[in-house]
Amino acid sequence: MSVIHNVEVPQPTQHGAAGGIMRRLNFGTGLAGGIGLAAIFGIITSQFVPTGASSAVTFAPIEGDLVYLAVLLGWVIGFMAGMGAFIGPIRWVLGREETHEDAEYMAGKDMGKSRYWKYTTDHKVVGIQYFIVTLIVFGFGGTLAMLIRTELGVTWSEVFSPSFYNAIIGTHGIAMIIAMIIVISGPIGNFIVPIMIGARDMAFPRLNALSLWLLVAAVPCLISSLFLGGMRDGWSAYQPLIAQAPSGVLGYQITIIVFAISTGVASVNLMTTILTMRCKGMTWSRTPILVYGIFAASLMGLYAFPFYQYSQILSLSDRIFNTSFFNPLEGGSVWLYENLFWLLGHPEVYVILIPSMAIMMELIPVFMRKPLFSYNFAIAGIVGVVALSGLVWAHHMYMTGWAPAANYPFMLSTEMISIPVGFLVLVVIGTLWRGTAWTRLPLMAVYAVIFNKMIGGVTGVYLSDVPADQYFHGGMFVVAHFHYMLMGAGFFGAMGGIAFYFPKMTGRILDERLGSIGLWTTFIGFQITFGSMFVAGLQGQPRRVLQFDEQFNISNWISTIGAYIIGIGVLIFLAAIIFSWKSGVVASGNPWGSKSLEWQTPTPVPLDNFAVLPVVTERPYEYGVPDPLDAELEPAPEEQLESAGTR
Amino acid sequence: MGKSEIWSDWGIAVVKRFLVTFATVLAGIAVVAGVAVFNSAREQGPAAIVAVPDGTMVDTPKGKLPHATLALSVYPNSSASVPPPATPSAYETNWLSGQPFYDPSTTIQVPANSVITMTFTQYDSGGQIYNPYFARVHGSLDGTMTWNGKTVKGLKQNEVGHTFTVHQYDESSQEAMFLNVPLPMNKANAKTDKDGYPVDPQTVTITFVTGDAGMYVWNCEFPCGDLYQEFSGPMQTRGWMAGTFEVVA
Amino acid sequence: MTITLIPDQPESPTNRPPSMHRLRTWLRRPYARHILIWTVVIGFLLLPLAWLMLAAMNQTGAPASEIMKDIEQTVFVFTIVSIPITAFVFAVLLYSLVGWKQVSGDEPPMQDSPAIRTNRIGVILWTFVSSALAFFLVVWGLIELAQITANSYGTISADQQPGDNNSVIVNVTGQQWVWTFAYPQHDGIVSNVLYLPIDKPVYFNVTSKDVIHSFWLVELGVKIDANPGAITQTGVTPNKEGVFNLRCAELCGMHHAYMETEIRVVSQEVFDAWTREMGGMRTS
Repeated sequence: MSVIHNVEVPQPTQHGAAGGIMRRLNFGTGLAGGIGLAAIFGIITSQFVPTGASSAVTFAPIEGDLVYLAVLLGWVIGFMAGMGAFIGPIRWVLGREETHEDAEYMAGKDMGKSRYWKYTTDHKVVGIQYFIVTLIVFGFGGTLAMLIRTELGVTWSEVFSPSFYNAIIGTHGIAMIIAMIIVISGPIGNFIVPIMIGARDMAFPRLNALSLWLLVAAVPCLISSLFLGGMRDGWSAYQPLIAQAPSGVLGYQITIIVFAISTGVASVNLMTTILTMRCKGMTWSRTPILVYGIFAASLMGLYAFPFYQYSQILSLSDRIFNTSFFNPLEGGSVWLYENLFWLLGHPEVYVILIPSMAIMMELIPVFMRKPLFSYNFAIAGIVGVVALSGLVWAHHMYMTGWAPAANYPFMLSTEMISIPVGFLVLVVIGTLWRGTAWTRLPLMAVYAVIFNKMIGGVTGVYLSDVPADQYFHGGMFVVAHFHYMLMGAGFFGAMGGIAFYFPKMTGRILDERLGSIGLWTTFIGFQITFGSMFVAGLQGQPRRVLQFDEQFNISNWISTIGAYIIGIGVLIFLAAIIFSWKSGVVASGNPWGSKSLEWQTPTPVPLDNFAVLPVVTERPYEYGVPDPLDAELEPAPEEQLESAGTR
Repeated sequence: MGKSEIWSDWGIAVVKRFLVTFATVLAGIAVVAGVAVFNSAREQGPAAIVAVPDGTMVDTPKGKLPHATLALSVYPNSSASVPPPATPSAYETNWLSGQPFYDPSTTIQVPANSVITMTFTQYDSGGQIYNPYFARVHGSLDGTMTWNGKTVKGLKQNEVGHTFTVHQYDESSQEAMFLNVPLPMNKANAKTDKDGYPVDPQTVTITFVTGDAGMYVWNCEFPCGDLYQEFSGPMQTRGWMAGTFEVVA
Repeated sequence: MTITLIPDQPESPTNRPPSMHRLRTWLRRPYARHILIWTVVIGFLLLPLAWLMLAAMNQTGAPASEIMKDIEQTVFVFTIVSIPITAFVFAVLLYSLVGWKQVSGDEPPMQDSPAIRTNRIGVILWTFVSSALAFFLVVWGLIELAQITANSYGTISADQQPGDNNSVIVNVTGQQWVWTFAYPQHDGIVSNVLYLPIDKPVYFNVTSKDVIHSFWLVELGVKIDANPGAITQTGVTPNKEGVFNLRCAELCGMHHAYMETEIRVVSQEVFDAWTREMGGMRTS
């Protein structure tokens, strides 16, 4: 019974124990449901659906395609059902409304560790779950990266067959893209952002759990594809080459379709939370920059991912139903696929980069004990990037011959994006300017990010330019460039963010020494690997080749050595996470002395985040003392008058 | 708390930290190395077939060179008497069953600076090749090949069964090599034995000169697989319609 | 910094210190001077990159055409232009870390840093400079693009290509995993090696039999995708004799890495001799 203003609000009555059937469902029943339904779907399909013979001009399915597709769909549906994703809607249809006790059970109240294995709605649990899933996907993608570099380092023979090599480069690509997309928006966006804006939970807690478990359902689809021949194309899965791939490609396509739903659900949830659930007094000019960053990433994800999903649905339909969207022999267009794909492809880069930039701008004021330099400029930069992000996709298609005249406007829009990105760089270096650096691990990660981001940004300018791109397109230079952006900025930013929020998320401080060793080892290995990859690109090595001319040997050997160093560094960082999580130093509520809301709650964060919802009365990042040098530069009050804008 | 106790706590923490790191790094390396070794072993192509020198010397534009011979057959599918090539996984075995392949192996080794005579026995049918360039002989000693005893420079576009095309070009480490052998098709109404193979298969002999040692690849340029443009399946699997061609010093 | 308006005190420009004085005051500060010096030093350290990049690109004989020269010029100019801004950011980074104050330890520092919320001049200057640079890059890029489009005859469609003796038309076909080149003006001879006469415009009509390939003449700076079901045009005038590389720059299946051949840029006499020799091998 809850009472508001002395008016009794009728509450649904509780039938039986809180949570109902959800009490019996957990990850184990999810697995059982997934495997069971996959087996049922697979057997039915193999028994009752005839397989057509393939022919030259069609994309017709090969034997096994339909069974594999049915197994994948059965796995996703069965897993979600076993987790209890459909219980809420079913109860709603049956008229059994959720009671307060049910909701508390769903949020994992007083449940201990077992809540991490359930369809739990608490955003803090979902954040931790996202973190674990991200680590798993990173581990998978990283293992493949090591295999790729091993193949390229062994220049004297082939370690793997070329087809398997093609399969691992594509799978490495998409695994890492998925991991990078979720690495900040997932753990930090879910765990931290609601507390940061002074909310008790996300706007749609059950959608939150849905987005996470859809992602969990998608990961085995991706991994399974490697066992069925793999998707023997880059992560871009260009048609019609992908039409020649074995059944493994279906694993990729189902992964993307499911992942796009997961991203869409998560985006809507985060955006609604940020729009409607900021606490009293948190106006737009008092909202921390990370919230803007996550909002921008969600917005871009929301419009970009449907393109990707459609492209894969059409691609799948070409293969299964023999439609001809992309089949050039039957009037389809290969350029259509490229357009659909890159309409996702480029916004997605900013989906990864903007949160990493935002987290940098969140960290620097705390460790420099200064306000964010030109807060408004930072927002302008983010808005500018979002606005331009949808207008630049065809710079991936300069060399396709699709529309040579379109190269002019796309070159223009692509180079224009360097202006808002420049704003963000200015904010970052302006905040570093004359601050006393508290040289802890998160700040060190920020330095690494800015260094990498500058190199990635400058090399991006070459690629945005059509004449230079005419040489670099499809070469190792591109590979080095986007690794500097996605890994150098995105991954190192995530390392900083994880190190910063680790005390809030786990209650313990990330081991400083071990973490730093991991970070700097990774950084050094990173510069070696991708620095020398730039050289290979300049020399003219195409990407996605497993054998090459002898002139590229030296740069590839150096790259491979660097890659192993990265591997060791990342493992050391992982060890720091494992060690600190188990037996690190117990953190106080606010170990960094931050002024943001998320650090004002106790650690571990209580279920409702705040005992009393906070009221925000000042702008974020109110650190700092009056600048003693101001007096020298602006001696007279008339000067102040001028800067107030009366002129 | 005494000084020694503090030290031992500190010491335990350091040792623990080291052990966790060591175990994590070791586990990571073990996973990567395990996957690499497992897949590398799984992905090994078939055992090499080596051209046998027959002790004779042949006059060529490059001087007198030793002569070696090699024989390959092309089958439209496997049968009781001709087992299919080994595949890396059960999935591939299933996918490729009933597809054409070169026999006995696609990993070919020939001696450097020699005259090689390759004999192909072709049991498969065929049809129209979509690039007529590959219906011609390229790269042989005198620009010709022998087809069932006749000397020809190529085939008609619509009577090609398969091709044996070695292609790799000048690199700093090895010289260019381009060899194209069109293999004629068997007519659809040809008399067949109990396994379904023609009783009188097409026989092609070609003679070419190898240069210095090098590693090349070859594949069939007559699309005979499945899926889009019939260029998938066996066409993109070593051991079936593609392989390596090594010139050994 | 809170700013209060004082309406009864009229604006008086004469009270303002002269701008040169303000600049001098600013430059007197050690950090300003240090940043400038560090920027210049880092900039000079980065400067060799401009030549090193070209050296890496020229390893196998580039530039062998006007297009490649334009590309290298662009790379060179972009490197030079981006060095000052990179050097400045690196200088601030390095200076804020090791040149200014630093604290370590487990507890947050007691002393806060100066609350510099914004700096109007700095922001305006940065916006202006970065926009000007971006504008310069765009203008440079557009001009160079127009130039390489002209040099690669990108505006001339297939039916307008001259079939006369002053140019060569090559029909390029990509297929898994071999390139073939047909010379329609020379009895339709077909080759697996790309022969080009020096100093003559060459028109390429590029297509593919199966999947997407990318036709990349490395040292000549030409790249265009070979698409199934479509013909793309490009061209080049090679101006250096030699053997160059042609690679496929778009993943096209198992032997993508081996889908390469050589370009032989030869004198007109050698080219004529080659076409005569190939003439007998006309395919049906």
